[in-house]
Amino acid sequence: MASEALRGDQPYDERVVVELVPVLRRVVGARIKDPHTVEDLVQETLARLMSSSRRVDPDKLHHYAAVTARNVVATYAERNDRARNRSHLLADPVDVAPPPTEQLLLQEDREFVAAALGQLSAEDRDLLVAHEVHGQDTSTMAAEVGSTPGAVAARLSRARASLRVEYLLVVEAIDPPSDRCRPVLRALSSSDRRRQRELDVNGHLLECETCSQLADRLFERRGQPAEDGVVRVPVSRDADVVTARQQGREVAASAGFSTSAQTLIATAISEISRNIVKFAERGEVAISLVTEDGRRGVRVVARDVGPGIADPDVALRDGYSTYHGLGLGLPGAKRLMDRFHLSSVPGEGTTVTMEKWLR
Amino acid sequence: MPTDVPTAPHVPLPASILSQGPNLIVSIHAALDDQQLERLQRDLLERVGRDRSRGILIDVAALDVLDSFAARTLADLAYMAQLRGARTVIVGIAPDVAMTLVRLGVRIPLTQTALDLEEGLEWLGT
Repeated sequence: MASEALRGDQPYDERVVVELVPVLRRVVGARIKDPHTVEDLVQETLARLMSSSRRVDPDKLHHYAAVTARNVVATYAERNDRARNRSHLLADPVDVAPPPTEQLLLQEDREFVAAALGQLSAEDRDLLVAHEVHGQDTSTMAAEVGSTPGAVAARLSRARASLRVEYLLVVEAIDPPSDRCRPVLRALSSSDRRRQRELDVNGHLLECETCSQLADRLFERRGQPAEDGVVRVPVSRDADVVTARQQGREVAASAGFSTSAQTLIATAISEISRNIVKFAERGEVAISLVTEDGRRGVRVVARDVGPGIADPDVALRDGYSTYHGLGLGLPGAKRLMDRFHLSSVPGEGTTVTMEKWLR
Repeated sequence: MPTDVPTAPHVPLPASILSQGPNLIVSIHAALDDQQLERLQRDLLERVGRDRSRGILIDVAALDVLDSFAARTLADLAYMAQLRGARTVIVGIAPDVAMTLVRLGVRIPLTQTALDLEEGLEWLGT
C-alpha cells in the first residue's frame, strides 16, 4: 500500500528508500512495543523520507533515515503525553487555528524575510531559494555551477549568515551608518574568524554604537557568547573604571590569586582604564584567564579608539603627564604587572596588554 | 583636572560626612569613581567653611583600590583643607592597598595618616 503511494508520487529513490525499511523497523521497534504502532511510524518515516530525499546525499540517506525515525518516535511520544495530560480538558487549545494577531505577525515576518532577501546579492539569493525553498541538494547545485558540494555548502552558510544580518536590520529598521558595518556584521554572523581579523571587527565595534548593539543581538540569536571565558567591560565613563577593576579582581580571585595580588591587578586595571576615559572616550577592557608554559595567569587587554600615543617610550616614563595627573598611570601599571605591552597607532587607538602570573 | 564640571548632585555619594565637634568625620562606604572623588573633595572644602571645622578625618577602609588618581585627590584635598585652616588625617589604609601604592610609585606624602579611627581622632585632638 505504501509502496504504491511511493511509486505514484516520487519514483526517484523508491528502491533505495524501500531498502531502508528493515533498518527503520529496527530503530522504531527498539523504542515502541506495539507492532501496529511500529508499522504506522515506519510508514510515516518513509513518507517523510520520500518528500525530502531529493535534498539528501544518497550516501548519507541511512543516517538521515535513522534520525528521522527517531524524531518521528519522539513526536509520537510527545503527542501521547499531551493527550494523557489533557485528557480531562474538553478542548485542546493546541488544535485551535492561530488567532488573527498571530497571522498578522506571520504575515509581517514574511515581509521582513522578503525585504531581507532583497538585500542579498542575486547569486546568494538564488542559492538560498534553490536549496531552502525548492529543495535542491548541494551536489546538484555544485554540478550546475561547476563547483564542489562542500564549496556550495560553505556559500550557503555564508548566505544564511548574511540573511540573518539583513533580517535583523529590516526588523529593527536600521540603516547601517557606515560602509564597514555590513561586512563586519556578516563576518560576525558567520563566525568567520579570519575575515573578522581582516576587517578588524573588534575595532569597528568600539567605534560604532549601532554595530556593537546589533552584534549582541546576533550572538543572542545564535545563543552563544562572543568568546568563552573573556570578561569584557566597555569603558567610556568614570564609573566604568570601577566596574573594570572590580571585574578584574573577580577574575583574579577565581584564578586563585592572593588578595594582595588581586589588589595589584585591580589597581593596574584602574590606571589603564582611566587612560581610556581621559584620552580616548571609548574603549573596552577584556580580562581573561590564560595558561602559558604550565603557568596560570590573568591577561588584561585594554583597547581604545582614540588619538593614540605619539611616543610610547615617553608615555611610559615616570612623571610624564598630559593632564595634571601624577604621570604614574602607564609606568605604574607596568610596575604592578609581570608583563606589559603597549602598542599604539596615532590617530587610530591604543592597545595595552598586560599579564600577571600565579606563583 | 577640571573641578567645575557639572555633575549629578542628586545621586548621593557612597560616603557620609559627619560633623563632630570641631572635626568632620568622613566615612566612605563603597568604591568611588574619579568624579565622585572630586565631588567629595569639593563637598568637604565647602563643609570646612560652613561648619568652621579644624580637622578632617577620612576613613578609607572600604576602598579596596587606591590608585594614583585617588592618592593625588586625597593629597590635594589635604593641602586645600590646610589652606582653609583644617588638618586632615587619613585612616584605614589596608595592608594590600599600602603595598600597592608603594609598588605603583606614589611617592607624594599622602598627608597625615593613622592606623584607624581611634588613632586618627587622637591625632586630631578631640
